[in-house]
Amino acid sequence: MKKKSLYIIALASLSLFSCKDFLDVKPTDSTDSSVTIQTLADAKVMINGLTRQLAKSSLYGRNLMIYGDAKGGDLTIVSQGRGLDALYVFNHSINNNNYSDFWTDGYNAIMQANNIIKSIDALQAAGTELDFNNFEGQALTLRALLHFELVKLYGKTYTQDPNALGIPVVTELLPTSAQPLRNKVSEVYTQIIADLNAAAPLLAKTKSNGYINYYANRVFLSRVYMTMGDYDKALAASEEIINDKVYSLYSNSEWVPSWASQFGKESIYEITLAKDQGDLGSSSLGFYYLRNKDNNALGNFTASDYFLDRLGQDETDVRWGIFTKDELDRQASCYKYVGSVDKKGDGKDTYTAVNIKVARLSEVYLNAAESALKKASPDKVKAATYLNEIRKRSPDLAAATSTSISEQMILDEKSKELYAEGVRYWDMIRTNKTITFNDEHVGVTMSHREKSINRTFYKTILPIPQVEINANPGLEDQQNPGY
Amino acid sequence: MQVVNAQQIAVAGKVSGPDGTPLSGVTVSVKGTNNSSSTNENGLFSLNADQNATLIISYIGYKSQEVALNGRKTISVNLAQDDQAIDEVMVVAYGTAKKSAFTGSAATVNYEKDAKDIPVTSFEQALTGRIPGVQINTTSGQAGSTSTIRVRGIGSMNASNEPLYVVDGVPVVSGNVGQMNSAIAGTTNNIMATINPSDIESISILKDAAASSLYGSRAANGVVIITTKSGKAGKPKIDFRTSLGVTPNWATDNYKPGDVQQQIQYFYEIFHDYRTSNGYSEEKANEYALNRMNTRFGIHGYEFSSEGTGLYDKVIIKGKTDGVENRDGKYFDWNDALFRTGKYQTNDLSVSGATDRTKYYSSLSYTTDKGRTYTNEFERIGGRLNISQKLSDKVEFATNLNLNHNNQEGYNDTRNTGTNYMYLANNLLFPFYWPTDYKTGEDYKLRYNSLGYNPLYYDKQWENTSKTLRIVAAPSLTVKFLPELTGKTIFSYDNAEVKDHLYYSPQHYHPTNGATANGSVFEFSTNYKKIISSTTLNYNKTFVDDHTLDLLAGFEAEKNEVNYQYASGSNLPSSALHTVATAGIKDANAYLWGNNMMSVFSRAEYNFRNTYFLSGSLRRDGNSRLGPDTRWGNFWSLSAAWNLKNESFFAQIEDINLLKLKASYGTNGTLPTNNYGWRSLATYGYNYMDQPGGNLTTIADKNLKWEKSHTFNVGAEFGLFENRLFGTVEYFNRDSKDLLQDVNISLVTGFNSTLMNVGEINNKGIEISLGGDMIRNDNFRWSANVNTSFLKSKVSKLYGGKDITWWDPTGGDSRVQFLYKEGEDVYSYYMAEWAGVDPSNGKPIWYTNDGTDGEFLHEGRGATNKVSDAKQVIVGSPIPKAYGGFNTDFEYKGFSVGLNFTYKIGGKLFDSGSRDVAEDGYYWERIRSYYAIENSWTPENPNSLYPKVSGNDPEDGITRSTRHLYDASFLRLKNVNVSYRLPSTVSSKIGLSNARIFFNGTNLLTASKFKWADPEVNQYGTRGWETPFGKTYTFGLEVSL
Repeated sequence: MKKKSLYIIALASLSLFSCKDFLDVKPTDSTDSSVTIQTLADAKVMINGLTRQLAKSSLYGRNLMIYGDAKGGDLTIVSQGRGLDALYVFNHSINNNNYSDFWTDGYNAIMQANNIIKSIDALQAAGTELDFNNFEGQALTLRALLHFELVKLYGKTYTQDPNALGIPVVTELLPTSAQPLRNKVSEVYTQIIADLNAAAPLLAKTKSNGYINYYANRVFLSRVYMTMGDYDKALAASEEIINDKVYSLYSNSEWVPSWASQFGKESIYEITLAKDQGDLGSSSLGFYYLRNKDNNALGNFTASDYFLDRLGQDETDVRWGIFTKDELDRQASCYKYVGSVDKKGDGKDTYTAVNIKVARLSEVYLNAAESALKKASPDKVKAATYLNEIRKRSPDLAAATSTSISEQMILDEKSKELYAEGVRYWDMIRTNKTITFNDEHVGVTMSHREKSINRTFYKTILPIPQVEINANPGLEDQQNPGY
Repeated sequence: MQVVNAQQIAVAGKVSGPDGTPLSGVTVSVKGTNNSSSTNENGLFSLNADQNATLIISYIGYKSQEVALNGRKTISVNLAQDDQAIDEVMVVAYGTAKKSAFTGSAATVNYEKDAKDIPVTSFEQALTGRIPGVQINTTSGQAGSTSTIRVRGIGSMNASNEPLYVVDGVPVVSGNVGQMNSAIAGTTNNIMATINPSDIESISILKDAAASSLYGSRAANGVVIITTKSGKAGKPKIDFRTSLGVTPNWATDNYKPGDVQQQIQYFYEIFHDYRTSNGYSEEKANEYALNRMNTRFGIHGYEFSSEGTGLYDKVIIKGKTDGVENRDGKYFDWNDALFRTGKYQTNDLSVSGATDRTKYYSSLSYTTDKGRTYTNEFERIGGRLNISQKLSDKVEFATNLNLNHNNQEGYNDTRNTGTNYMYLANNLLFPFYWPTDYKTGEDYKLRYNSLGYNPLYYDKQWENTSKTLRIVAAPSLTVKFLPELTGKTIFSYDNAEVKDHLYYSPQHYHPTNGATANGSVFEFSTNYKKIISSTTLNYNKTFVDDHTLDLLAGFEAEKNEVNYQYASGSNLPSSALHTVATAGIKDANAYLWGNNMMSVFSRAEYNFRNTYFLSGSLRRDGNSRLGPDTRWGNFWSLSAAWNLKNESFFAQIEDINLLKLKASYGTNGTLPTNNYGWRSLATYGYNYMDQPGGNLTTIADKNLKWEKSHTFNVGAEFGLFENRLFGTVEYFNRDSKDLLQDVNISLVTGFNSTLMNVGEINNKGIEISLGGDMIRNDNFRWSANVNTSFLKSKVSKLYGGKDITWWDPTGGDSRVQFLYKEGEDVYSYYMAEWAGVDPSNGKPIWYTNDGTDGEFLHEGRGATNKVSDAKQVIVGSPIPKAYGGFNTDFEYKGFSVGLNFTYKIGGKLFDSGSRDVAEDGYYWERIRSYYAIENSWTPENPNSLYPKVSGNDPEDGITRSTRHLYDASFLRLKNVNVSYRLPSTVSSKIGLSNARIFFNGTNLLTASKFKWADPEVNQYGTRGWETPFGKTYTFGLEVSL
């Protein structure tokens, strides 16, 4: 009896493992990558995942935004080593401070977009009855946007040399063996415009908080055309947004509080951040602009004297309301991305999880103004009208007129309005301006650039990362000159 | 049954150990016949023998004795313990083997005898220097940290290099467990610490394919076989041990900072130089530098002036009188505040015994280890029950049960959150920084400059603990179907539940979890389950006296599952409540992962007259970590040995007691680390707008296959002069092929790498172990042994022949870069080459290594002053030329003294800490080591180690370069053990069978070429800010009833 029961135990222990699929163990938090989209809900899930990629610290979550400001002359640093100061001091080389995450995460996001587009194409080819248009439109728009950001980071600006090397254009899911070479800048722009225009009819013309809609697509199109110097088309894209009136500008009294809420009335594309959903806490974009030691912030960046002089043209400018004293006792620490000078956030539980405003109507007005001024047959009246809609945020400054309006006025206004929103540097590069840095506050000598630079300086674009060249040797000969 | 013939008499007798305890199971045989018997539980035996016969009395672990009867009918024999144990029985794969008959390569440590007094929370460190061919590395001196064991080099780049751990016949969960490692980079929780070292009887390490191939896919990196204690025949024995270890200081200097005056002079020089080198006058520079100090340290109650305005003029420090504390002449000693005298305490109680049907060993132990770091503690309470019961002559049932609970807290071995105390005390915190505000006397809460926080305040604002509960239950059933046919089935259930708790108060500075989240609390639960069922059938028979055959066949299935749950809360209502329950925002996660394996295996062993040995094994493994087409692999080995001593032509040579030659060849496999590496996956959890989000995360090769290693081993074992000198010499060559490599692919694909079977590595080496009894008589014994291993690990093939750079994974602080390159050492440092300091001006000199003459020639090579122009090159390897240990024991009556040295010769060490504490002005907000300050260039010290202190953004010191590369050779007195055992005549009077007191000293002496910090480094040869090792003095007492 005793023996028998022991044999039973032995047999039972053997049989425990005899089930058929014993060696087929599947993950429980992942699925096979080939079956990600079957339903509309699936498509939304993948769009969400893609947007979270955009929210990473390397992209819109922080670095891409700071890149557009730290290099543009509106910012300065007080000490080296607080973080991201390499962007300001231009200490870039193939191996060090090459910010290769732009490349890595940028192409990863493009791949995620391609997966959505290809999956939807396949379902449509198989005759699906579901309407995936909106999702495909979003993915196409984001694919275009990412190509646009990358070609600006790595290639000469269009108006400097459209035939220069841009970046590899990727519209397919690539196999592991792929080693794509760089396309010309003009070829990249051709694809960007094609994607944006293919996406536009698929997108909704209504507000779509946290997601791409038709108007976000048009903002990007206007940026693309302005960068290419095609101001007529840029104006058309901008005016479509203005005229459709889905969005409206903040009044002067609404402007400062607008930073403390989500999805304001002029906000066209916001990437939403929340606790555990992209919130970077004290590594957030907002924290990089806080005053030194405020909540133990490092005080990475503060406004340059040049910017303060510009905004100081009018002491009553409403936009001072988002600035507070920095460690040098200047009204220069910008609190846009913590909601307000008392760090209220934008209505969520953590004040560092402030949505990233990727596109808002004020920019569109300023883009329209510049486009009207610079288009083939300039319309100065229109330009002044659009500019004044924003310029009235400095009540003590005289309105622009068709005689006083200039490119400088529009760019200055853009600097004041969109400070810390990642646009200044690109405006300076695109319009071929000299950028002068306010190096007087930092305690050490600048050895990686001159005090003033322009777009002929080789470090105005980044090196193709060495890790990419190692895996894709054809790019060795296509490295940006100087690196 | 033998017929009793006329000359035969009945003999009875008793066999006892040296202390008089009866020994059961002793074999008593009549010399020259097959006639034998064995002793019962009272040590008694009886048999029939010729009245002039000689009896051979032999017992494992004791010296055999021959007793001539000379007509006696009763005899009494005391067996002496055989410490040499040349022919001990070793635990090997799926069974045991006599050392003399073993054809593979394995080494055994008698843990109970050699290592039990060493104060360790897990056994690995106590093995240091004791086993040839085995490197034991422990990165951190923190209590409960994980060690790594490397058996015969490095066989893999991407998959694991860890050996398989087998406890009492079954593979167990090993390595670092829980989630604290990802929450606080660089920390580890060693699951092996759930095995009480006092329960360990012996440890075998299987090194070659013949020894380990039967473990198949998991054994390419060797096998560590742990055997726990079992009951010995005789009446119940109660053992009690208690010991207390104190660690008052470190084993070596560790980046000792310069004194207060040195620190302030250095600070002054940086800013003075910054001004003068940018065209300012000395006076202006002096004013600027003093101003810098007054702002920086003024808020801490100090003011500064100088004796003159020159670069090297003395800075005068004074205390301010406008606060509640006057700090004039007083400075804060952070090392003193953050480190304490460590205390290690352990108490073990065991009861064991055996009858001829039942064997039992049961123990209970309690251990605490309060580390040198004042927050770091480890506590273990555990018990073990090993019991076996013969149900009949043919059936035996046994169960080994281990239950343990560990509690580990105060992790701080990282630099990521600024909570590493070594880093804080020796690099970040000036002695001018105090934990209180001098004006108010209240806690100082602001960040000090240089990213350092007040640890004495912030330690109260966070907490971390890991609790590990582990149960291993392994019942087994052995059935002797026939005398020569035995079946055995083991079922093992190994379950470890690790609960990690992490809390940050709303005052804490943590980037995402402290103030910005209004406090956070995290609870991680990770449950590791390993279930193994293993059934073997063993046939063992000797035919016509000369031919012995041993056959084994088996089936095994293994299921590994990790069940992970996580809950967190932020926005906490009060700093008194540290629970998710009270949080304003809650987040959770839970899923599981794992892998399964199924195997069949067999082994055949044959020997002829114990002289010629042949052995072969074959195993077939299928594993879920590989795709359906590639998941099955075959692994085999062949080996042979020749025992020359048993040859007639050798038997005459009396001075040679043993000479055995052996050789083996075989294969093993290694699996990908990733459970799902062959699957292309989309992963979820990328939530957006409070909705689910997914991303494609991997791109995979579905035909991924096993890494395979092919090992050849040849060796000799010998014993000379009555085994007074004995040893082994072995040579091995291991080719590891189809190595998995994360091959970098174009990032334009959206992925950075994909796993492929592409690389090849070769390891070869020679291992020598020599031992001897210099003096051996009744009262005094002096023995010594030395072991040395020579190892070469080379990369033989890479994907497309392309070099691969990679970072040292230790500590998560990117401390040094390595390069895989065909023909080079597996671990090859890759960095800029430092050429020293120009004595004429104090500027750094670098070799350009770009094939040009550089800006100028230095020592005939192209050189430059600009670090950015120095190319990275391979500059050496952390793999030593030779390593090993030296052990010696003296015994006189009850006294014994044992010394255990460990050494390493050759190889390089990269000193990452000096990048922080010995640079030239880049980190001007931090303190420097005394050696950086004393060895920097000045006009009076032109032939210096380091350049002139500079205020102009010098990147020389922080560059990873040969400036911080050192010869890694060292010799360390790892353990010294002194003990005294009361004579049994005395102990028996107080009712004890044994009483012993001991002292153990750990890390007492170190001789090293590297002087700045501890030279005993991890397998990557890097030293950073991990907690170093201390000098531990342990006193203990053990008594047996």
